[in-house]
Amino acid sequence: MPNRFIRLLPALFLVAGVAFAATKPAVTKKLDVPPIDYKHRTLANGLELYSVQDRSTPTVAIHVWYRVGSKSDPEGRSGFAHLFEHIMFKSTAHMPAEMMDRLTEDVGGFNNAGTNDDYTVYYEVVPSNYLQTLLWAEGERLGSLTVDEANFKSERDVVKEEYRFRVLAPTYGRFFNAIAKNSFTVHPYRRPGIGSIEELDASTVEDVVAFHKTFYRPDNAVMIIVGDFDQKQLDTWVDRYLGTIARPTTPIPRVTVQEPVRTEAKRVVEHGPNVPLPAVAITWLAPSASSPDAAALNVADSILSGGESSRLYQSLVYRKQLAQQVNSSADLREDLGLFAVTSIMAGGKSVEEGEKALMAELDALIKTPVGAAELEKAKNLLLTRLLRDRETNDGKASALGEAIVVKHDAAEVNKGLASVQAVTAADVQRVLKKYVAGGKPVVITYTAEPAKGGAQ
Amino acid sequence: MLMTITTLVAQEAIETTPPPPAPPRAAQVPQPSEKTLKNGLRVIVVQKRNVPLVAARLLIKAGGEADPAKLAGLADLTASLLTKGTATRSAEQIAQQVEALGATLESGAGWDTSFVNVNVLSSKLPRAIAYLADVARNPTFKQDEIDRLREQNVDSLSVAMRQPRALAGFVASRVLFGEGPYGHALSGTPESLQQIKRDDVAAFHKTWYRPDNAILVIGGDIDAQRGFALAEESFGTWKATGPAPAAVKTEPLQPKRRIVVVDLPDAGQAAVVVTRPGISRLDPAYSVASVTNSILGGGYSSRLNIEIRVKRGLSYGANSAFDLRRDAGPFSAQTQTKNESAAEVASIMVSELDRLATSAVAADELTPRKAALIGNFGRALETSNGLVTRIAGLALYGIPLSDINKYIGGVEAVTASDVQSFSSSHLGGAQASVVIAGDAKKFIDDRN
Repeated sequence: MPNRFIRLLPALFLVAGVAFAATKPAVTKKLDVPPIDYKHRTLANGLELYSVQDRSTPTVAIHVWYRVGSKSDPEGRSGFAHLFEHIMFKSTAHMPAEMMDRLTEDVGGFNNAGTNDDYTVYYEVVPSNYLQTLLWAEGERLGSLTVDEANFKSERDVVKEEYRFRVLAPTYGRFFNAIAKNSFTVHPYRRPGIGSIEELDASTVEDVVAFHKTFYRPDNAVMIIVGDFDQKQLDTWVDRYLGTIARPTTPIPRVTVQEPVRTEAKRVVEHGPNVPLPAVAITWLAPSASSPDAAALNVADSILSGGESSRLYQSLVYRKQLAQQVNSSADLREDLGLFAVTSIMAGGKSVEEGEKALMAELDALIKTPVGAAELEKAKNLLLTRLLRDRETNDGKASALGEAIVVKHDAAEVNKGLASVQAVTAADVQRVLKKYVAGGKPVVITYTAEPAKGGAQ
Repeated sequence: MLMTITTLVAQEAIETTPPPPAPPRAAQVPQPSEKTLKNGLRVIVVQKRNVPLVAARLLIKAGGEADPAKLAGLADLTASLLTKGTATRSAEQIAQQVEALGATLESGAGWDTSFVNVNVLSSKLPRAIAYLADVARNPTFKQDEIDRLREQNVDSLSVAMRQPRALAGFVASRVLFGEGPYGHALSGTPESLQQIKRDDVAAFHKTWYRPDNAILVIGGDIDAQRGFALAEESFGTWKATGPAPAAVKTEPLQPKRRIVVVDLPDAGQAAVVVTRPGISRLDPAYSVASVTNSILGGGYSSRLNIEIRVKRGLSYGANSAFDLRRDAGPFSAQTQTKNESAAEVASIMVSELDRLATSAVAADELTPRKAALIGNFGRALETSNGLVTRIAGLALYGIPLSDINKYIGGVEAVTASDVQSFSSSHLGGAQASVVIAGDAKKFIDDRN
């Protein structure tokens, strides 16, 4: 079933034990993997086209990445970019609502989309003989989206159910939703991309029209095609269905807000119903995904929480039996990032014990250089996971999109591996000293609502 | 009101209908090879070359259904303990050595099977297979590891019990299978976990983990001869003593229809499950059941999702599945919705079961639902893990591996009348039980 929100909450990646997708390094010859060999051109209307041919299966992945995400939600409309993403599956001038499903699922393919803080991506995987059809359809929703009140309201109800499904129903949904909210002070990354019931209710059809007009334009889009196609034919079709869409002359609004350096540590207490085990998160401001420090932070993250041999697991879960689940993340985004550690406590253990143990592990990694074998293990885990992420055409397109849109450099998709391989023990110490020891923590604790004593 | 957002396309360029597809290119289905070692271990290798990754899975032909009556969770605990220490490696050493390869090693139990999986770069497969064999063959089940894992599982259950979906799932199994082998939670309960002793774990392992009750499936960047040789190296000396035990049999049940509400005060949503006995994986109606479910609740454009999400905005998604096991497993349809709409959603689900049983599916619905199924099948074979999962699903139940070539034909042959007659005997809503877990004060009238 399509999950039209999959890239939004870094917290969800924490739960899944996977570091945030914005920071994937690439594969080089050391692993004997061919680089992703992409072609690139920019159309006259500003649309960027990247293509990677792989004819081993008769399928093709079609991605369109728009350089607009939740950070551009209008004021008082948090969750809007994501709601808008859902509306993109409704009608266009020549497509009735849900026709995208007719052109994908009904012919043995699938479609999905995801809204991230920094971008919104729409994608399909179809039998390759449908490539031309889907290029037409992507041109339709970029060029002539239409929306009616009934469809808008019904889809808004779906998104409200999605909010309940992700935030209210899971035991730690509110906890993970609270991390970004309490970690940024002025940057719009502080607003949850999933929004809130009240702000979703406040949105209107007119907002949809304005948002499409402002951000959905060829010079704000990156199209990525991976799989079974003929390059010449692809170029002809893209020119025909997307190259004919005019480029507006107005500028595209960009988020320019600078998050200030934290000047003091902060503690936040959050509560929720049905919380059998308390939880704690500690965050620090971190650099953007394109920072030269990104690779070392990713390796630090892997040392701390990559697998059961990782330091946080071995210490908090295995030896001390303080935690039911631990994680760390180098959640590096387009503008800046967060480095975070989290722990859901074991039965009878307190968040204070958790915080102390998490800090002790960070201190140890800052004070004593990591050994060669442990460093190598952390890199191998990172690189193998990356390779698995790129097993399919769709996975390759995602990796390329992240490099282009979040890191501003398509070549990063292949260069990233060398950066990870080059990280030294001293690099790991240096970045943790800079961002963790040299930064100010925000500590977020999450416990059962005190007023309802029955919940534990 | 219909608002057109923008029409920036130059008029002469507008093409108002989608261009038709070109002729399709046929997909290649990878072909498995197999060999049985002298000790009875069945080894299957399926090659797929494009990425240097391999997935290997050891299947034991017994899982949660083999849990003794008062020891629910024994199969799962036993499988999870495999990686927590062997005769020559501690839990920490296993994790370190496996992860030094960049590999992942996981073990657990499902219904009808326990498993150990490894995912690894093909260049590092020999060492990874050796670790897989060590944990499957030589676990020590140390008491402190048992105690630690038991506490972790009890904690996990305390979390699961506060989540509407998990809670509804636990109850649905009980409603359908009662005290039968499929009736309990795979993970056990806080009470049953306390009853499990080290001897129970060791006995479960001794009974079921033996080469003549196991299958090794290796898929990805590896050729058959090399796979067979690696299997021989790591498993050749594994010995079985005495005759292999027979699989635990589950008698078909005719449970009474029940409506069960589990009150979870302040739950953020209600989980709604509609369930009834389904079919066995070995049922000749396999293809018909697959197509029927694709129409009803398999995929975005299936009826349940269309009615509940797309038309009414009542959920983020609704779906259904036949859980195909050695003996008939459950059929269940499920969704989550705001507490206030739980009853409405339950009645939509029941009426969709009835609609399929009482009226024929039109060709313009049947054809795309088959295509969706066939597309999913092909895509699942694109990763080494997906390939191993598909082959393992055939091997576990003794289905010929060549059936991987019959899936598409089987789906294509299903007719609208096949679907309707299958639905009328297997899906009628009047025989289905309903389980709702949520904040009950918002959806039931408790004045009586």
